[in-house]
Amino acid sequence: MVWDLGERLARTLDLEALVQNLARAKGVTRCEINGDLWSEDSLTSLKDDLSAGHIDRILWVGRFSPDRMRILADELHTAGLNPFLHHWLDLEEQGVLLDGTDRVIMNRKALSLLEMALARTRLLEPLEPLEVPATDAMLIIGAGVAGIHTAASLAELGKRVYLVEKASGVGGKVALLSRFYPRLCDPHCGLQHALDKLEASPLVEFHTLATVKSLDGSPGNFEARIEQRPRYVNERHCNGCGECVAVCPVEVPSAPEAPQELLPQAAAWQKITALLQPGRKAIHPAYPMAFPRAYVIDREHCPAGCRECEKACPAQAIKLDQTSEEKVLRVGAVLVTTGWDPYPLGRVAEFGYGHHPRMISNLEMEKLLGAEVSGPSSPGFSLQDLNAVGFIQCVGSRDERHQKYCSSVCCSATLKQALAFKEQAPAATCYVFFMDLRATGFNEDLYRRARDLGVIFIRERPTEVKVDTEGGNLSIRVNDPILGRPILVDLDLLVLAGGMAPAAGTPELGQVLNLPQNQYGFFESHHQCHPEDGQRTGIYVGGCAREPMNVSRAIESAHLAAMKALKFLEGRVLIDPTYPLVDKTRCDQCKRCVEECPFGSFGFDEKGFPTPDLARCRQCGICMGVCPLGVISLRHHTIKQEAVQVEAINTAFMGEGEPVILAFLCENDAYLAARSAVHLGLPVPPNVIFIKVPCAGAVNNALVADALSFGIDGVLIAGCQDDQCHYVRGSQLVKKRRGDLGEKLRTMMIEPERVRFESLGIRQSQKYVRLLQTHIEDLKAMGPNPFKI
Amino acid sequence: MPPRVDREKCDGCKAEEEPLCQQICPGDLMDLGANKKAYCRAPRDCWDCMSCTKVCPVGAIETRVPYQLGYHVAKLIPMMGTNTITWTCIDINGKVERFRYKNRTT
Repeated sequence: MVWDLGERLARTLDLEALVQNLARAKGVTRCEINGDLWSEDSLTSLKDDLSAGHIDRILWVGRFSPDRMRILADELHTAGLNPFLHHWLDLEEQGVLLDGTDRVIMNRKALSLLEMALARTRLLEPLEPLEVPATDAMLIIGAGVAGIHTAASLAELGKRVYLVEKASGVGGKVALLSRFYPRLCDPHCGLQHALDKLEASPLVEFHTLATVKSLDGSPGNFEARIEQRPRYVNERHCNGCGECVAVCPVEVPSAPEAPQELLPQAAAWQKITALLQPGRKAIHPAYPMAFPRAYVIDREHCPAGCRECEKACPAQAIKLDQTSEEKVLRVGAVLVTTGWDPYPLGRVAEFGYGHHPRMISNLEMEKLLGAEVSGPSSPGFSLQDLNAVGFIQCVGSRDERHQKYCSSVCCSATLKQALAFKEQAPAATCYVFFMDLRATGFNEDLYRRARDLGVIFIRERPTEVKVDTEGGNLSIRVNDPILGRPILVDLDLLVLAGGMAPAAGTPELGQVLNLPQNQYGFFESHHQCHPEDGQRTGIYVGGCAREPMNVSRAIESAHLAAMKALKFLEGRVLIDPTYPLVDKTRCDQCKRCVEECPFGSFGFDEKGFPTPDLARCRQCGICMGVCPLGVISLRHHTIKQEAVQVEAINTAFMGEGEPVILAFLCENDAYLAARSAVHLGLPVPPNVIFIKVPCAGAVNNALVADALSFGIDGVLIAGCQDDQCHYVRGSQLVKKRRGDLGEKLRTMMIEPERVRFESLGIRQSQKYVRLLQTHIEDLKAMGPNPFKI
Repeated sequence: MPPRVDREKCDGCKAEEEPLCQQICPGDLMDLGANKKAYCRAPRDCWDCMSCTKVCPVGAIETRVPYQLGYHVAKLIPMMGTNTITWTCIDINGKVERFRYKNRTT
C-alpha cells in the first residue's frame, strides 16, 4: 500500500521498478503511485478498500507535514483505520534525491528504506489513548505572594486549591516588606486584595502551621499527607478581638537572631532594636500577616498551668489541649512556591553583622521603613533623626565563599529603600557601595531617580568598618575610584544588602516530593523552554523556590506553572498511547529501568515487576534503551519494530569499498539537523540511513549489536548535548553504554570507533555532515565490518 | 575456566538484591561481594555455559576458555543483539572467526 506524491521522486528514482518490487512483498495488497492524493477519488477508493477489509494498514511514501498526516489519519479514522496504523516514510529526507550520486546506488538505498519501512509497518499495532480519572484540586505549598495570587486565579477558574503554609499566617516574605518597587506602593494592598478573594471563595482551603509529610500517587491522583501542628486556638471561633493578649502573662523575647549588644549605645539605637525585634506575648496574631484571623499560641513559652487566655476569651476559642493531626489531601497537581530565606549575614565575617545594632540587613531596613508607614507602633524612633545611611551591596552574594549567584533583586531593592528613605529624610546623606549595580530593565529609572535625589554611588565596597566604642558611631573606609584615594565616611546606619538563599526546609521538601535541587539548593528546572518544570511530572515550581526573582516575576512564574498544571486538574488525564510497556513474562526484575528513569516514574507492582506510572512518564524511552533484556518497549516505537528495520537494511547498497552507516537520531535536535542538512542541499554522504528515536537514551545496545552483526560498518548515535537533553540525562546514559559496548568490541577485535556518540544541536547541519564525512573516512581506513557478508 | 568479573565495570546491577548473573547462573555460583561487585564463589563448579557473560548488561564478565581447548590468548566472546547472538572466536594463534545465530529468546 505505497502511495507516492509528486514527481520529485520520479526524477531520480525508478519508481515503477521500486513499486513493482514492493508489490511482490508479502502482505502487500495494493501499491500505487499517486500524484494527486487529495482528490476525492483517491480517498474514496482507499476508504472503500479499508471498509472492505482489503487493507488494514498503510505505508505512505512522500513528504507529509504533520498537519497533512493528521488530516489523512483523521479522514481514514472515519473509515475505521486506527491512527497508529500508518507509517510515514520520507525518502527525500534520507537523502535519496541528492545530486552527484549514482542513480543505481540511490535506487538500492530507496529500496532498502522501503523494505525497512515495510518491515515496521507489518508490526504496527492499533492503539487508543488512555484516559485516567483525576481530581480537580491543586496543592500549593507555601502561601507567599506567588502562592496566594495563583490560588486566587485558580479559584476563579473553578479549581479547588489547598494552600499549605508552615508559618502561622500567610504572606511570606512580601508581608515583611514596606514597599514594592517600581511604583513604591504597599505590598499589603495587593496581598489583601487577593486574600479577600480567597476568603470569599468556597474552593480554597488554608492549612497554616502545616507541612507536607509525604506525597504518593501519580499526577492527576496525588495523595498528600500533611501534618497540621496545633494552633491552640479554634480558627472558626476566634474573631481576633485580642482580649487574650491583654491577659497573657508571658512576654516572649525577640527573635533568636537578635544582635548581641556588645557595645554601649545611645538611647535611640535601643529604639531601633526594639523596632526590629518587637517583643510579643505567648498568644499573638498570626505571623507574618494576621491571616487567618485566628490568634496562635507559642506553647513552649506558656508557664505551667496557666489558663488565663482561656478564661478571658469571650468566644471560647482557646483549645490548650490541641495536638498535631494528620490530614490527607487528594490533589491532581502540586505547585511548590516555598520562596526564599535571607542569607545569614552573620556568616559574612568581614562586616561584623550581628555585633552592632546600627548594622542591619536589608530585610530589617524594610521593617524600619515599614514602621514609619504604619506610624503609631514605632516607639519614638524616626528616620528623620538619621544623618547618613550607607548601603553595601552583594553582601554574601556573587562571592565564592558564600552564594556564587546574583540574587537579582537586591540592587533594585536598595534603590527603592534609598528612595523611600530620602522621601522621609530629604536632608540625610545616602551612600551606596556596590560592585555592579544591576537595576535591570525599567528599574534603571529607580537609579536615575536616586541620583536626582542626591544618593551617592561609590563603585567599591568598604575595606574596613570602624566602630566608635564611645558614641557607638560607625565609620567606614573605602577607596573611592573616582577620587582615586581612600575616604572615610561616618554613618548612622549601615544596611547590608544580603541575597536570597533557598527557603529553610527546601532539602527536606525535596526529599518528600522526590524533587531534585540544583547546585545552589533551589529546585531544579529546565530554565529556558519549560521554566516551570520541576523534573517530576505533575509537580511544578514557581517563584523564588526556583531561583531568586522579584515579586512580579514570582507571580508570573507561579501562574505559568499553574497553567501547565491545568491539564491534571481537568477531572481526567489523557495519556498518549505511546507509553512504555514491560513484557513481564521475560522481565527478571533487575530494576535498571527504575534506577535510570530521569523522572522517577517507575514503581513496582505487587509481584515486584517494574511498572511505569503512565501519568508521570514523559515517554522518552530511556527505560527501553537501558533494559538489558530488551523487554521494555515504547508502544509504536517498539524495540522489535526497530530491530526489524535494522535487519532489513541492505548493507551492501553502497557497493564495494563504501561503508554503510546507520544513524540513530534523537528526534528533538539531531533528526531536525539531519533533515535540514538535506533540505539545505548540503553534501550529505549517501552512505547513511537513519532511524528517528525519541531520545538518544532510547537506543538499546542490543540494536547497535544487531546492526554490527548484520554487517553495518558504522553506527552513529546522535543526541543533544549533555546539559541540554530534553530528558535530563539521555545523552549521559548513552555515552556510558557506548563505553561498555566499545570495550566488548575491542575484545572482539572490532574497532570500537565504529560506534560513535555525538551531540548535535538543532541547527548544526554542517556539523552533521562533517561528522559523517570523518566517520566514513575512518571507516574506510578500518576496512569493512568483518561481519559483512 | 570460571567467569572473571571486571571490578571496574561491574556495578552490582545497581541496588539489586540479586544481580542478573546470579539470577541466571544454572549452578547458582555467582554472588554479590561486600563491595557490591559480583564474583564467582565456586570457580571449580562452573560449566562454562557463559550465561552470565551473555546476560551482563555492562559487559563486565569474561569467560576464559578452558585450557584443554586453548591457552589464554584464545577467547570466546558473545555479543547479544535483540534476537541474535554473535560469537567471536579467537584461537591461540590469534585467528578470528565470527558466527551469528538467531536466538529464540535473549
